[in-house]
Amino acid sequence: MRVPAFADRDWRTGWAFAAPGLLTLAVVMGFPLVYAALISLSSLTLLKPMLQPFVGLKNFATVMADPLFWSALWLTIKYSLVTVLGEFVVGLGIALMLNRTVTMKPVYFAVLTIPMAMSPVSVALIWRMLLQPNLGIANQVMESLGLPRIDWLGNADLALWTMAAIDIWQQTSFVVLILAAGLASLPRDPYEAAEVDGATPLQQFWYITLPMLRPVAAIAVIIQLINEFRTYDLPYILTKGGPGNATEVLSFFAYRRAFLGLSLNEGAAAAFVLLLIVLGLTILFFATLERRR
Amino acid sequence: MQLKCSLKAALLGATLLAAAGSAHAQNVTLRALMEDVPETQIIEKLLPEFEKETGIKIEFEKIGYGDMHDKLVAQLVSPESYYNVLEVDFLWAGEFPTAGWLEDLNPYIAKSGFDLKPFIPSMLELLGQTKDATPILPMYNYSMGLIYRADLLDDAKVKADYKAKTGKELALPKTLAEYVELSKFFKAGGNVVGAAMQAQRGDPNAMEFSNYLFSSGGAYLDAGRKVVLNSPEGLTALKLYADNVQNGAQQGALSATLDDTMRLMCAGKAFSMVTYWWMLPQLDNKEKCPEVAGKLALSVMPGGHGESGGWGWGIPKNTSDESKAAAWKFIEWVQGKKVSIARALEGHAPVRSDVFEDEAVLKKYPFYKTGLDIVASGKSFPIFAYSAQYEDVLGAQLSLAAGGQAKPEDALKAAADGLTQLLAK
Repeated sequence: MRVPAFADRDWRTGWAFAAPGLLTLAVVMGFPLVYAALISLSSLTLLKPMLQPFVGLKNFATVMADPLFWSALWLTIKYSLVTVLGEFVVGLGIALMLNRTVTMKPVYFAVLTIPMAMSPVSVALIWRMLLQPNLGIANQVMESLGLPRIDWLGNADLALWTMAAIDIWQQTSFVVLILAAGLASLPRDPYEAAEVDGATPLQQFWYITLPMLRPVAAIAVIIQLINEFRTYDLPYILTKGGPGNATEVLSFFAYRRAFLGLSLNEGAAAAFVLLLIVLGLTILFFATLERRR
Repeated sequence: MQLKCSLKAALLGATLLAAAGSAHAQNVTLRALMEDVPETQIIEKLLPEFEKETGIKIEFEKIGYGDMHDKLVAQLVSPESYYNVLEVDFLWAGEFPTAGWLEDLNPYIAKSGFDLKPFIPSMLELLGQTKDATPILPMYNYSMGLIYRADLLDDAKVKADYKAKTGKELALPKTLAEYVELSKFFKAGGNVVGAAMQAQRGDPNAMEFSNYLFSSGGAYLDAGRKVVLNSPEGLTALKLYADNVQNGAQQGALSATLDDTMRLMCAGKAFSMVTYWWMLPQLDNKEKCPEVAGKLALSVMPGGHGESGGWGWGIPKNTSDESKAAAWKFIEWVQGKKVSIARALEGHAPVRSDVFEDEAVLKKYPFYKTGLDIVASGKSFPIFAYSAQYEDVLGAQLSLAAGGQAKPEDALKAAADGLTQLLAK
């Protein structure tokens, strides 16, 4: 006779252990999420803080009718792809170098994790000072090298990429750590066989390292994509979305709707669109994990 | 005899209750979110005096302007506000009372007999006073004028260069067009930039541009609150603003804030800046800014009108009665004549005419006379429930125009349409 799951002792013990965590998650994540969903379907603003009347998908339609929403979405996609690509390329290079390093490895890792340990707000403030066009160090270095001064954050064509470079500087160490761990776990046998067959280091990298590293690399890329889609701190501190709308990413757009426009309902709708994108990436992340198994 | 005893008992009871209430108020700690500017530091120095007088403790949390609105709103919509005395910008003087977040101060004023007559009427109006309510009591004004390098205007070589290039005598500009022309002249000279500009999108460029608009004879709204921003005067103002950002200001002006312009001016790398009139002593300071100390002067914005703004004190509704009583005690103390004069002697920008006219104040700071002219001639940014959002809408268009990403005509039309839409919201 089959014993019902809830009558099984292990089943009950498992749930007993998981219950506090699940309950905490339900309170700190589930409730705000449901409440935000309700707000996005309501007429609630900061000036009229009442959920009713519910307006269905009107807030989503209003937000999507704004050309700035699409511009923010496009900027977010461009920004996320460029930063993740940059972090991956630089991160992989550093991880490969560290993989070959024998001495002082812990020191290198410790130094590399410093940017990651800093809060994005501190990073933004520090870089804002360094890149200050008239008194900042970056332009003084440029000048001493005989190069022209650059308006890093005030030039509409450059501001987004300056922000992306700062982001890459901070986030690359995370990618390095994941890829370095992946490289350290690769088996030695295929390399020994390749050497016997006369494969060059480049061929070994292309035909052995990259394919075997792919599952780990995919995880790193997807985690970073999710992070980058949610970027808010850097534009808030560095540019306030400007010059013009040159750095107005989707999360900043949602913030402006909610707190400057006092329309929490429209801000919540914009945030939900962002959530859907991040949710899609998360599903992709878990699908990748499953494939790896 | 019995009546006498009863009266005595009642009196004793009332005294005890009052004492208990007062003792309770003394246990209140007032917390205020304050902009990190000299005015806050001036008051902060005087706080031990208030604590000694009343037994009420007060804590200031100082942050940059850009973060204040969001932090305050989060508290004001919560069941109980962490901040129990509020520093409120005039730009929020439409939003906060409309949302019902502030106590009406009239009952407190009436109960304590606080005299409002010395307060400059335009400051009370700027901060949302109506015939029925006073939601915010003025704290200090931040009207804007022109701070400039008087030594450069007096320099014989600069004068000769200017005459050679323009055929005109070098003098303090009387119009906005003259000012922008002078600014471009200085930048072209290569030694200093003509204007340290805070053209970052949002509050910085919206406030700065307002000076250009009023100086050109333009306005946001007419007397009937109809939007008149998109006018020939408005277009002139925006074209001159963009011209100065591109050809007169420092590199990076489009991402610069007040702090950046102050640093630039302090380092002696700019001829002028359009800023708050009371910034003069901060810059004309041998210890902080040796490069420019003794070389600066203040004037009303060329064209005759600058942007006028101000901060005030408010009491949030979502705090306890004890907190509210203690908050009013503080507001009454800090805006009273005695403390206002003590603050003015440290550089406070008064909101009371009796402080502007005080002999000791004028003796220490003769430029307060010009300060009063700036306050008196100042005009206001439109104040309504969505003023903060309008700053952002306007700021984005100004940034596009000044960065060359949009035609001034298109940007001005979009800015005017944005104002019309928000007023109708």
